[in-house]
Amino acid sequence: MDEYITIALPKGKLFDKAVDLLAKVGYTAENLSEDSRKLVIANEAAKIKFIIAKTVDVPTYVEYGAADIGIIGKDVLAEENKDIVELLDLKFGKCRLMLAVPEAKRLTRLEDYAHLRVATKYPNCAKKYFDELGIQTEIIKLNGSIELGPIVGLSELIVDIVETGTTLRENNLTEVASIFTATSRLIANKASFRLKFDRISRLTEDLRKVLKEG
Amino acid sequence: MNRQIYEIPYGTKDILPGEMKTRRAIENKIIDVFCKWGYDEVKTPSFEYADIFKITDKESDFRFFDRNNNLLALRNDMTAPIARVAANRLQDDNKVKRLCYLSSLYRYENIQAGKQCEFEQAGVELFGASGAAADAEVIVLAAESLKAAGIKNFVISLGHIGFIDGLCREAGLTADQVRMVKECLRRHDAVAMEEIAASIADAGSSLQNVFERLLFLQGGRELLDELAALLQGEAVKKALDDLRQIYSLIEAYGYGSYVSFDLGLNRSLDYYTGMLFEIYLPEIGFSVAGGGRYDRMMDNFGLDCPATGFAMGIERIILALERQGALDYSRRWDVFVAWGEGNILQAIAKADALRKEGRSVKLAVSPMTLEQAAAEVSSNCCSSLVYV
Repeated sequence: MDEYITIALPKGKLFDKAVDLLAKVGYTAENLSEDSRKLVIANEAAKIKFIIAKTVDVPTYVEYGAADIGIIGKDVLAEENKDIVELLDLKFGKCRLMLAVPEAKRLTRLEDYAHLRVATKYPNCAKKYFDELGIQTEIIKLNGSIELGPIVGLSELIVDIVETGTTLRENNLTEVASIFTATSRLIANKASFRLKFDRISRLTEDLRKVLKEG
Repeated sequence: MNRQIYEIPYGTKDILPGEMKTRRAIENKIIDVFCKWGYDEVKTPSFEYADIFKITDKESDFRFFDRNNNLLALRNDMTAPIARVAANRLQDDNKVKRLCYLSSLYRYENIQAGKQCEFEQAGVELFGASGAAADAEVIVLAAESLKAAGIKNFVISLGHIGFIDGLCREAGLTADQVRMVKECLRRHDAVAMEEIAASIADAGSSLQNVFERLLFLQGGRELLDELAALLQGEAVKKALDDLRQIYSLIEAYGYGSYVSFDLGLNRSLDYYTGMLFEIYLPEIGFSVAGGGRYDRMMDNFGLDCPATGFAMGIERIILALERQGALDYSRRWDVFVAWGEGNILQAIAKADALRKEGRSVKLAVSPMTLEQAAAEVSSNCCSSLVYV
């Protein structure tokens, strides 16, 4: 074990769970916290480096090999379409990408909407979904508060991630279709997967065991 | 003065003096190795009739019409054009042909490290030979040319499409399922692979177990023995035997320690029929070289001719060398020849003599004093001054 392994962790809701899970298989470091001012946190004894990145950037760090492995939601992977190795379903951070409309404007069938403007943080996933249904749409990329779209007349529909559905209800939106369910994934760089195969496959197996035991 | 900046298209770049000099040196080293191994260099057109590129399953991204409305395409792959040359232009008694190239290719893609829309590949194709000797030759040649370029550490991931096909046959998969498995491997999606494994093979069977870990089937020679003991299918055993033979030859060349078997390896192109490989380096997160056996491609040209080969990305090699700190972009010439008023003829004679001695010379373009000349030596990147 002469080489460091670099792990990219996403800021935000997956962070704590990812850190807890990795700690169970001995992948941890002192002062590993989201508010850390340090960008790289190393555990020199165990030859591990953590980098804490903005969620959507995690697959990019891994694709380029700036990080050997990473933890990231399948929703981000589906949207970003990066060239990486998807090693393991880590089961946590379950969420759903769905399509919602204001309750008052709900129609029976998707085809009944004459004009579809869709606000979303996931333009690629949304486009793919509507393309497969043969429905033409105008996709409006937003970076947050997607629910605002229909309220202010920016769009008729939204495609967004929901976990509990509370935000939807609070904004009088109702779900009309589910696009996919996503959980977090352990991913690896394609070169690292070969060059550091022993360590990465052992880590994957250890995590798989921990997940099985619950 | 308002300076006008002319932009260049997305995915292209200019290669400026220092970098170009280094690059040319690396290209020459690689081509020299190809030549030493008996490969003939060829050049094919940058654009061809678009149909030719369908052979390699990926249509060109840059297509246009000529004056007669023929659909043309900038090449996005070299294997099909080289195969065309071998089939149509080099028909002779010698059935074994060794060809190599250094060419720019064009693909519209998201720009990745060392991969722009225009990028350069060096590669070889060996036609007319089936069997382990030819496969081992191209793998070792890839390794030797990387070494010649200055790359020290790398891993050759070696797999076999016959192993994957054999497994699929053993499990009795439909054509759709086979496509699903291959696509999954190509995308390196172990999570989806696990789901597929559960749906296509009996729970707890050794076959299901192998499908489940397909992407994790990496290791040394013992992995081949382990799998041969675990699996029954003839095609699978044949593929494993083939890999064993190739490996023993690679060992004989002295490159055994570079090889790691990777039985879930499936490269993006669909035309491979036998062994396939990719080369990875610690400096860069993408493969720098890859290739394999493609015995059916020549069918497209009405020939039954086995073939094997590889290509390597010049930009990625340069990027890796740069990260190793192995590149020096500085430029130097040996001599700056300057001349005083009226002495240009003597200066030309002096420069000529020095060049004939094998030195690189920059000759001043206007008369100057000795003092001025001394001041200009370093701005001309020259090591010494001759004043006439």
